[in-house]
Amino acid sequence: MELSPRRGISWRLIWLSGVMIAALAPLSGTSRVAAAEKVDFQSQVAPILAQHCVGCHYPGHSEGDISLATFADLSANEYVIPGDPDGSYLLELVTSVDGKPPAMPQEKPPLSADDLAVLRQWIAQGADWPEGLVVREKSKADASLWSLQPLQVTEGGSIDHFIEQKLTEHHLAPNEEADRRTLIRRATFDLLGLPPTPEEVEAFVKDADPQAYEKLIERLLASPHYGERWGRHWLDVVRYADSNGLDENIAHGNAWRYRDYVIAAFNGDKPFDQFLVEQLAGDLLPAEDEPQRHEQLIATGMLTMGPKVLAEADKDKLQMDIIDEQIDTVGKAALGLTLGCARCHDHKFDPITTDDYYALAGIFKSTRTMESLTTIAKWNENEIATAEQVAARDAHLATVAAKKQEIDDQVATETARLKEAGTELTDKPETQFSPEVQAALKSAREELATLEKATPELPTAMGVIEGEMTNVQVHIGGSHLSLADEVGRGVPEVLRQVSHEAIPSDQSGRLEMARWMTSPEHPLTARVMVNRIWRWHFGRGLVATTDNFGILGEAPTHPQLLDWLAAQFIAEGWSVKQMHRLMMTSHTYRQASGDTAEESLAGSERDPDNQLWWRQNVKRLEAEAIRDAVLSVSGRLDKTMGGSHLHVANRAFLFNHTSKDDTSYTSRQRSVYLPVIRNHLFDGFALFDYADASTPNGNRPTSTVATQALYALNSDLFLEAAEHLAIRISQEADTEARLRLACHLAWGRAPSDEEQKLFTQFLENFPQEDSSVEKIEQQAEPALVALCQMILASNEFIYVR
Amino acid sequence: MQPLMNQPITRRQALRQTAVGFGGLALMDLLARVGASDDATQPLAVHPAKAKRVIFLFMKGGPSHMDTFDYKPQLQKDDGKELPFDKPRVTFAATGKLLKSPWKFTPQGECGLPVSELFPHVGKLADELCVLNSLHGTNSAHGGALLKLHTGSDNFVRPSMGSWVLYGLGTENQNLPGFITICPTLAHGGVKNWGSSFLPAQCQGVPLGVASRPSADAEVKYVRNSRWSTEAQRAQIDLLNQLNQRHQQQAPFESSLEARIQSFELAFGMQTRIPDIQDLSQETAETLSLYGLDDPITEDFGRQCLLARKFAEQGVRFIQVTHSDTKVQWDQHSDLKAGHEKNAKEVDRPIAGLLTDLKRRGLLEDTLVLWGGEFGRTPVAQGTNGRDHNPEGFTMWMAGAGVKGGLRYGATDEYGYYAVENKMHIHDLHATLLHLMGLNHERLTYRYSGRDFRLTDVAGKVHQGILA
Repeated sequence: MELSPRRGISWRLIWLSGVMIAALAPLSGTSRVAAAEKVDFQSQVAPILAQHCVGCHYPGHSEGDISLATFADLSANEYVIPGDPDGSYLLELVTSVDGKPPAMPQEKPPLSADDLAVLRQWIAQGADWPEGLVVREKSKADASLWSLQPLQVTEGGSIDHFIEQKLTEHHLAPNEEADRRTLIRRATFDLLGLPPTPEEVEAFVKDADPQAYEKLIERLLASPHYGERWGRHWLDVVRYADSNGLDENIAHGNAWRYRDYVIAAFNGDKPFDQFLVEQLAGDLLPAEDEPQRHEQLIATGMLTMGPKVLAEADKDKLQMDIIDEQIDTVGKAALGLTLGCARCHDHKFDPITTDDYYALAGIFKSTRTMESLTTIAKWNENEIATAEQVAARDAHLATVAAKKQEIDDQVATETARLKEAGTELTDKPETQFSPEVQAALKSAREELATLEKATPELPTAMGVIEGEMTNVQVHIGGSHLSLADEVGRGVPEVLRQVSHEAIPSDQSGRLEMARWMTSPEHPLTARVMVNRIWRWHFGRGLVATTDNFGILGEAPTHPQLLDWLAAQFIAEGWSVKQMHRLMMTSHTYRQASGDTAEESLAGSERDPDNQLWWRQNVKRLEAEAIRDAVLSVSGRLDKTMGGSHLHVANRAFLFNHTSKDDTSYTSRQRSVYLPVIRNHLFDGFALFDYADASTPNGNRPTSTVATQALYALNSDLFLEAAEHLAIRISQEADTEARLRLACHLAWGRAPSDEEQKLFTQFLENFPQEDSSVEKIEQQAEPALVALCQMILASNEFIYVR
Repeated sequence: MQPLMNQPITRRQALRQTAVGFGGLALMDLLARVGASDDATQPLAVHPAKAKRVIFLFMKGGPSHMDTFDYKPQLQKDDGKELPFDKPRVTFAATGKLLKSPWKFTPQGECGLPVSELFPHVGKLADELCVLNSLHGTNSAHGGALLKLHTGSDNFVRPSMGSWVLYGLGTENQNLPGFITICPTLAHGGVKNWGSSFLPAQCQGVPLGVASRPSADAEVKYVRNSRWSTEAQRAQIDLLNQLNQRHQQQAPFESSLEARIQSFELAFGMQTRIPDIQDLSQETAETLSLYGLDDPITEDFGRQCLLARKFAEQGVRFIQVTHSDTKVQWDQHSDLKAGHEKNAKEVDRPIAGLLTDLKRRGLLEDTLVLWGGEFGRTPVAQGTNGRDHNPEGFTMWMAGAGVKGGLRYGATDEYGYYAVENKMHIHDLHATLLHLMGLNHERLTYRYSGRDFRLTDVAGKVHQGILA
C-alpha cells in the first residue's frame, strides 16, 4: 500500500511557461507531427501537460487521484500504455466525442487538434519519457515581481509629499489637522494602548509651545507602556502563545520570557535587524556577558512556539510539519512571503520553487527545535541560569546528598550494631532497629523529602540550538514517503543576488539566513516592517496584505512612499521609534478623520475607502486596548510589568480529555500579560478579533457582532469596571461634577449640555432594581453604575477618531 | 450619505464591514441568495438542494464500526487469528490478533441493513439510514483526527465545516446564531473545532455548555446579566443609542459604528430568545420520553438532541451535538464490551427519538443528520479486550434531506481494517456534505493571505452514490 521512495533517481525538472509554448507556436502552422518524425517529449509533449494538466494533477494533489507529472504516475493507472494510443485512457479523456466537450481539462479550453495529434503520436511511438523528469507548472510571477526589486528611492521626499501628490492627482486635498483632544487620544492609544488621563489631556490642550505635539510623542515613546503596546503587535506576527493548542493543549510554561524580551526590545528601540537576527539565530551570536547570552537564547523562542501536533504518531511527518510551520512563520513575518506554499509543488504564484523550500527546510532540520518526538513530543528548552542560580542549586544538591549520606550511614551503623549483637537479620533489617532509631530515621527521611522537593529548578527558555547538520531531499507532493534529490541548505534562488555568506557544512545556516534577511540590499525585510508600522498607525498598510508581498497580495497604493520609508528605516539604523516619529509627526497622520465639511464630502465621494489618505481612519480599539482602557478608566489597572501568569506547570495540560478548563484570567495587569491559550482564548480577546495565535497575522480584522455587545452588557469585566468607575467619580461633590469626571476619564472631554440632560433624565428615570436579581456588593448608586457602564460601552470610548 | 453603496460591495466587504450579528443581516441573506462568491461577477457556488441545515451527532473517542454499523461475518469466524495482511505503517498503539465483536447483528427494517444490538432503537429506523462504511482519514490520534473531521486539516488552523456552511449559506434566523455547538469538548482542538479561523467572526460556532458539565446547566456565555433587570437594561441601551448616534455625527464615514448600534439591539433580544428555546417546559411528556428525558441514563444526551431539534425548527443552519464525558467517551482501548454498552445506551434512544421527531414534524425532509466519531477502531485487539484507533476505515451515517435511506454504501475489507470500496476520505465527506447543502466545495472559497482556501483544500469528491 505504501508508495515506494524514489531515492537516487536523477531528478531533472523542467518549467514550462506560456512564453515557451508561444515560442513553439510557429511549428503548429504547418504540422507539428510529420508522420515519421519522432516526437520530442521535452519540447512537444511536456508543454501540453504543463499547460493543460499539471496545474491540477500533480503529485500529492488528489484531484481524481491522478498526477500527470511523472511517467510512473501516468502509467500506473494505464492512463498511458506505450504503443497503444487507443488503449490509453488519457487520450479518451481529452478527446471530444459526438461534439460534446471532452471530459478534461475541466473549466478550461480543450486541447487543440494539434496537441491531440502530438499526444497520440507520442504514445504510438512508445511514450518515451526521459527518466526522472517531472513536468511542473510554472509560477505565475517571476523575478520581476515588484516586491523583489531593489528599493527605488526618491530623493527629498516626505510622507506628506507623496500622499499629497496622489491626492492632487485625484483633485483631493488632505483634511485639516485634528483638534488637540483628538490628537492626544489618538497618539496615546496608538503608542501606549491606553487612554490619556484627564490631566494629560488638559496639559496638552493648554500647551502653548509650538513643539507641544513633538514633545507629546517623545513623552509617549519614553513610556515603558510603549513596549507593551508595540511588543504585542510583534507577538501577533510571530503567533505568540502560552500553550501549544492543536491536539494536545499543554502549557508553554516559559514562553513569557520571550514575550518580556520582545517588550524590552521595543522599549529599548533595539535595531530591528538585530532584533530579527536574535530571534532566528540568537544562540549563534557572540555575547559579551551572561545576561546578553541568555537574552539571545530567549529570543530564539520565536522559532519554537508554533502550534504542533504533539501526539502525531508519524514522527517523520511531525518533524516536517514543525519545519513547515517555521518556514511559513519566518516567511510571512519577516519577508511577507508565503514560502509554505512550495512544500508540495513549486509556488503557484510567486517565484519560489520546491528546491527553495527544501533548501530552507535543511536549515531548520539542522536546527534542534524538539527535545523529543516521542508522544507527547517535547520542544527544546535552553538553560538560562545565572552562575549564582547554578551555585545555589549545587549547594542545595550537596545538602540533599549529605542528608542522604547521613541516613545511609545511620542505617549502616545500626545494621552493623545488630549484626554484632548476633541478631539474625531479616530482609527488612530496619524493622529490627530500636523504636527511637526508627523514629529518627523516619523524621530524617521526611526532612530529605522536603529538601529534595525544594531543589531550585534552573530556569529554562523555549528556544533552539544547532542540531545535526543535514540537507533535505525534495519531498514529492510534500510527502515524506516520496523523496527525490537532496538540495543544499540555502536561501531562495530568486533572492540570491542579495549578498549572503555560504553556509558552512558544520552549521545549520540560520545565522547566514538571518544576515541575508537583514542585509540593507534585501528588498523585502525593510519594506515589510515599515508597512507593518504604517498599518498599526493608520489602520491599513500601504500594502494592504501586510503578510503577503507576493503576487496574490495587494500592490502598494504608494510605492514611492513605501520605498522611501524603507530606505529611511535602514538609514536610521532600523530604528522603529524613529519610524514612529516620522509617521506620527506627518500631517497625513495628524489630519482629522473627517466630518461633514465640504472637503470631506469630496473625499468620501471620490475615495470612499480612503485609499489615498485624505483623512485619518477611525479605528476600533483592539481587544487588549479595550480591556486595558476599561480597567484603566475604572482605576483598576495593575501596571506591574512582566512575569508569568500561567498557574500550571510547564508542559502541563490546560485541557486534557476532561474538558476541564484550567485557564484563569483573574490578573488585572495589562492584557499583554494574560496567558494566550490557543483553543481557548480569554473571551475578551476571542470576541474582539484577537490574533489567532496560531498563524502570523499583522492585519487583524475588525468585526462587529452581537456577542461583543453581550460582553459589554453582561460580562464581569464591564459590570465590575462600571461599579468602580462609579465609585471613583463619587468622590466628587455633586452629580454634575461626577458626570463631568466620568466623561473626562473615558472620552477626554466634558459632556455637552445635551448630554448632561440625557444623563440627568437617565438617572431620574432609572427603574428600581428587581429585588430578585442577585446583587453584587454595592458601594455606588445603581443608576450611576448603570450609566457608567454605558459610557464604557459607548462607541466614543471604543473607537479612536 | 451612503458612499459604500456607490461601490460594488463584495461579499467579504459586506461581512467585514456591515454584518452585525451571527451572519444575521438581511444583506447577508441577500448575498447568500446571490451566491457564495467573493466577487459578484464570479459564478454561483449555490445550487438547489433539499438540505437546509445540518445536525451533526458527534461521538467523541471513535466508536467501533465492527461493533455497530459495519457487520463483518469473517471477523466473527477468524477470532483470535493473525491479521492476514499488513497493519498500517503508522499505528497509534500496539495491537495483537483479530478480535470478534461481542454483539449480534440482525437485519433491520425493510432494507435489511445489519445493525448491532448496541443500537436497538436506531436499528428500527434502518430505512432512514444511509450508512457510510468506507470512511477513512489520515490521523490516528484524537487531536489530529478531530481537527481533520471538523476543519479538514490536522496540522493547520482552518475554519470548521459549520463555519463554511454558514459562510456559504448565511442564516435563516437573524436573531439566533447560525451555528450552535451543544456541549462540545474543549480537548483535542477544542474551540478550533467550531472556530471560524480566517472566515468572518460571525461564522464561528457558538458553544452552549461544555462536555464536562451536564447539558441541563448548559448556557451561552454572557447571555445572562447578574446585575440588571430587563427593564433597567432597556433603559441602558436607550441611553447608549442616543450617545452613539450623537457620536456618529462626528465620524460619518465609519460604517461599523452603525453596525455596533444595531448589535446591541440584537444582543438584547438574544438574551431572552436563547433561554426561551432552552426551556423545555412546553414539550409534552410523550416528546420528553421519546428523547429519553425520563431516564437518568439517557436524560443528558436526550436533552441535547431535543435542543438540536428546537434550534433546527428555529432555522439554525448548523447544529452540532457532542457525546463526550470527562474521559474520551468512545475510546475503548480496553473493556470494549462494558464501555461501548454504556455509551450506546446513553445515545441510542435519544438519537432514535430525534430522528422520529424530526420525521413526524416534517423536518427530516430538509435537515441532514450526520452521525459518527473522529475515527473507528481496529478489528485487532489491543490488550485482551480493547480496540485501538483506526483511521484507515470506519463508519459514519447520514439520514434525512438528500440522501438515500436504507443504504449501505462503501465497504471495508473482510475484517473492517481498511476502506476498500467506494472509499470516502474525510475530504469526500465534506465535499458531499456541502453538495447536499447546495454548495460546490470547489467554489466555496475564501481568499486569505494570498490564497483561495476551501474546506476540502485541494481534494474531495462528491459521492453521487448516496444522493437521493
